[in-house]
Amino acid sequence: MAQTTHTKPITFGNNNVNCNNTTGSYNTTVYNSDIDARIMGWLSPLEPDNRHHGVRTGRFEGVGDWLLETREFREWRGGEDGADKAVLFCSGDPGVGKTHLR
Amino acid sequence: MIDKLCDQAREEDLAVAWLYCDYKAQQEQTVINIIGAILKRLVGSEIPEGIRKAFKEGRRPLLADLMRMLRIAIASLPPVFICIDALDECLPKDLPQLLESLRDIVRESPGTRVFLTGRPHVGEAIQKYFAKAVAIPISPNEDDMRNYVEMRLDRDEAPEAMDNALRAEIVRIILDKMSNMCVGLFPLFMVYTY
Repeated sequence: MAQTTHTKPITFGNNNVNCNNTTGSYNTTVYNSDIDARIMGWLSPLEPDNRHHGVRTGRFEGVGDWLLETREFREWRGGEDGADKAVLFCSGDPGVGKTHLR
Repeated sequence: MIDKLCDQAREEDLAVAWLYCDYKAQQEQTVINIIGAILKRLVGSEIPEGIRKAFKEGRRPLLADLMRMLRIAIASLPPVFICIDALDECLPKDLPQLLESLRDIVRESPGTRVFLTGRPHVGEAIQKYFAKAVAIPISPNEDDMRNYVEMRLDRDEAPEAMDNALRAEIVRIILDKMSNMCVGLFPLFMVYTY
């Protein structure tokens, strides 16, 4: 399977907030200290990073690229309509590949 | 999808939070935990002082606390994209409150974009909270399937045993069988679900 990996922590904006909050090619979350890790656990016990790594490595590159070209996606992504069209919903029956859309 | 937004996040100013719902984790996937997970994703390694203070108070956060912290976090971030996969795998009793929370987030922070996936029936629930939500139906895409089969054939350990004609024949038969399977399975699926 094709595998996309980020080799550096991803930062953006002036806030130095991580998009992925990752280091290395494995999507593990790294916190600055034990207390930070406890605060994160207090906010939520869910760890979406772990699942994302599984989806990413199981995905075949290019699947769902067509979606990015649709007018609906572009309009939603561009955000011109503000709160009115804030939501894009991709619907399909189990197994059609919604999760693996790139 | 998430990777694509993250790629764009590096080029432009974007913040991306995601969550995969899973029916095996329904008990843990409460609305409060989902909103908390979005918040922790967005604050990343720079935990705001307000959150540290609330943590020190020692009580479990309420949904209202998390929503307030989320609103403050979003205000200090570039445009925020929230992606939630497989909404239908949430407990049905949690779905309305989750959608209501997402609607509140979007109302309070209008630049926020929400990307959702799920089985078609979830669309009705979404419409109740987001009347102008844009829906895109996803179906198995023949190009995607073809590319996948070609990729697997490229990895064949004995490529010399297969000439171009045989290769084309293999691709044709697999795609043909797959489209028949989809057509054939659908009525069966209907029988079992009704």
